[in-house]
Amino acid sequence: MIATTLRRFRRWVQLAAFVLFLYLLIWAGRLPFLRADLFFLADPLTGLANTLAARHIVAPILIGGVLAFAFALVLGRAWCGWLCPMGTILDWTPSRHTKRYDPDPAHWLRALKYFLLILLLAAAAFGALAFLILDPITLVYRALTTAVWPALLFIVFRVESLLYQAPLLRGAVDAFETVFRGRVMPVQQPYYAGNVLVALVFAAILALNAVRERFWCRYLCPLGALLGLVGKVALLRRTVGNACIECQRCARACPTGTIDPARHFESDPSECIMCLECAPTCSRAGQTFAGHLGAAAWQSYDPSRRQFLAATGAALATVGLFGAERASGRDDAHLIRPPGAAKPEFLSQCIRCGICLKVCPTSGLQPSLQQAGWAGFWTPVLTPRLGHCDYGCNACGQACPVGAIPPLPLEEKQITVIGHAYVDRSRCIPWVDNRNCLVCEEMCPTPEKAILLDEVTARAADGTETRVLRPYVVHERCIGCGICENRCPLNGEAAIRVYPPSELTAVG
Amino acid sequence: MNAGEKTDMSNTLDRREFIRRVLALSAAGAALSLAKCAPRPSDGEATSTSAQAASPTAARPQATEAPKATAASGQSEAAAQPTDALSQEQAPTSAPPSPVSGSAYLAVARGAGADPAELTRRAIAAVGGIERFVKPGARVIVKPNICNAYHGPEYASTTNPIVVATIVTLCKGAGATSVQVMDFPFGGTPQASYTKSGIEEAVKAAGGEMVVMSPIKYREIAIPQGKALKKGKFYGDMLDADAVINVPIAKHHSSAGLTLGMKNLMGTVLDRNGMHARGLHQTIADINSALRPQLTVVDAIRILTANGPTGGNLDDVKQMDTIIASADVVAADAYATTLFGKTAKDIAYIQMGAEMGLGQMDLGAIKIEEIAV
Repeated sequence: MIATTLRRFRRWVQLAAFVLFLYLLIWAGRLPFLRADLFFLADPLTGLANTLAARHIVAPILIGGVLAFAFALVLGRAWCGWLCPMGTILDWTPSRHTKRYDPDPAHWLRALKYFLLILLLAAAAFGALAFLILDPITLVYRALTTAVWPALLFIVFRVESLLYQAPLLRGAVDAFETVFRGRVMPVQQPYYAGNVLVALVFAAILALNAVRERFWCRYLCPLGALLGLVGKVALLRRTVGNACIECQRCARACPTGTIDPARHFESDPSECIMCLECAPTCSRAGQTFAGHLGAAAWQSYDPSRRQFLAATGAALATVGLFGAERASGRDDAHLIRPPGAAKPEFLSQCIRCGICLKVCPTSGLQPSLQQAGWAGFWTPVLTPRLGHCDYGCNACGQACPVGAIPPLPLEEKQITVIGHAYVDRSRCIPWVDNRNCLVCEEMCPTPEKAILLDEVTARAADGTETRVLRPYVVHERCIGCGICENRCPLNGEAAIRVYPPSELTAVG
Repeated sequence: MNAGEKTDMSNTLDRREFIRRVLALSAAGAALSLAKCAPRPSDGEATSTSAQAASPTAARPQATEAPKATAASGQSEAAAQPTDALSQEQAPTSAPPSPVSGSAYLAVARGAGADPAELTRRAIAAVGGIERFVKPGARVIVKPNICNAYHGPEYASTTNPIVVATIVTLCKGAGATSVQVMDFPFGGTPQASYTKSGIEEAVKAAGGEMVVMSPIKYREIAIPQGKALKKGKFYGDMLDADAVINVPIAKHHSSAGLTLGMKNLMGTVLDRNGMHARGLHQTIADINSALRPQLTVVDAIRILTANGPTGGNLDDVKQMDTIIASADVVAADAYATTLFGKTAKDIAYIQMGAEMGLGQMDLGAIKIEEIAV
């Protein structure tokens, strides 16, 4: 049974692709030979949107995009059925199951994904990439890196700590820690803003499987829409021949519901994900997958001129709203970008993939929820109080697939100014309590310390005179890495804080 | 999924078979690790076994037999302290062994351009040899200063890799079953710091193990002698080890004055911010009363004279080609201050440590062997 074998083969391919996805995700920044952004390069939607918005093309994106389009020209939406991690997760999620053919709740639902696609691309053409948060690869990557993985690490840590109390289990926990800590599990627990929100959105997408199997892929996925449009002219398509006895088994097996009894069990190549679930159900060889030239029929839910105009109008409205946002009026006081990313064109380059957030070893890079407005939603922002920019690390720039964070060599990154530190003399211990602290000075990583100490005579708590060392910042040396703010021993707000740099100062 | 899956028996079987295999594997793994840990005694036992192991050879008394210097400065009650500590089960590595007759209390090996490995071997030999500190079968932890991943060893912000590797080789030669090397950097991840410092490569070549310190392994113990800290979370494996060898690099540090052996033990404590907040010098002395390495080897091959503890400027690095070894961390630190043109009195934590009876800071009162290589 070739059909059954092929179907089983697809499931193995899905598993393998998903394992690869997880491997690239967990080892991002430490991969010996593969690129952490492979799936983003294979995703032509992020590439196309980035190219439209940034008005330049990045070589790996071009290669990945060409390959993806060529693949789609031959096999249509096979990506969705075989490789896409979102599709794989949805296949593994229980879904609504009926004994009879299950038609769409409403036919126009399938048009939603085209609307989202045109909205996304039109907004990208106007320079706005915020809608890329709806790309399925960014969605899955975001959910796994900021919600699932950190939560799992937290639970593992708690369970381990508990088991470690029992002397009998200590050896086992010890062995586990030795093998996994530092290799698979990071030493430091990652934290992310908005992780609950991300988890809820992701759970909602999975829950929609209860309405229809692969609800996301059928009705919402903008990447599926893009591949579907290419798939209209794909070479390999499913066709139904004269041997069909209209037994309906293929229609019931189809996870995207595109095999429609009303269309003589033909399927729409834009909706077919080449999963071959239908193949073993056909007892009479009524259907074949064979080569075809020419375009498949246009369906009622496929994009129309009216829909195109509406989506473009919506994109225009969005761009107007983004431009008139508070965040566009004046930068947020805490908007510190990763090294080299503080540039006007950043928002039209960043594809919101979140790899930089994942590779940042300190959790210092956080997704922007409101600092950069809706236009900059889910772009990286350094939050020094949570994690600083490590002086010996340039992982974010190396990992960024599109160069939105430039791939600075370490030596150059170490003199790239991302902010400036200011001592808050109304909170700083040596200023307020007249006793030494100096943690910020100790931590300052620049070869010539950017934080210096002034020795002054002051009154101690008991009234006697004492010598106190008070920190001050030499802004010509400060690069704004924020380790001072991070390690300031005060509770709550640090007594030394990093703000975006003014144009007037720079290192080197 | 659809009807297809229900009829596909092989799939269901696969899943069950998969779960069964995973369960079997984990059971086997658990059994193996349990078997591995079974002979390892629990905390309390570890203390007593190491005490027993020490007694026949008489090489490791609990510092009750004070060195002559201790008697000179009248610290008898302090000398009795480690015995109390033993009964309270808090710090198994509670006391450095007292000198073997004939060997020096502190040794300094130096020689311009000399091989760091040779300097290390000679200094350790002069204080009684590694066998005095590491018994056959011992589990040893070496604690260098690997505080950051910013610069290579030539910048003198992390301990010299050759010195660390030489100590690993010596421990292996003395019959140690495991020699683990670890630190908890404040700048950069442990893995990056281990690599950047050159220590990982050198230690692995010497047959030692680089271990990432696990956040679950810190244990709270009482610090009965502590003045600013009455308790603290220390790295459990160091508390359990048969020997801890402290291998700091001597370097500048503005809040502590200098960072040396006593300061290096901050890397074994979880809450370092709290130490800063409670006053750095007294808390450093306090943790040194709880976790007492068997041997301190101060790396002064290169020293960092300014912009410490992170460094980054070769102009601040001074080649000294010197190794200081002593079972007494206070004495080792006191001697190391002289390399910077200071005295032990200039560094508050050394003075506090001496006052608490943790060791001897009066260099005139101890037997020092100077070795020219």
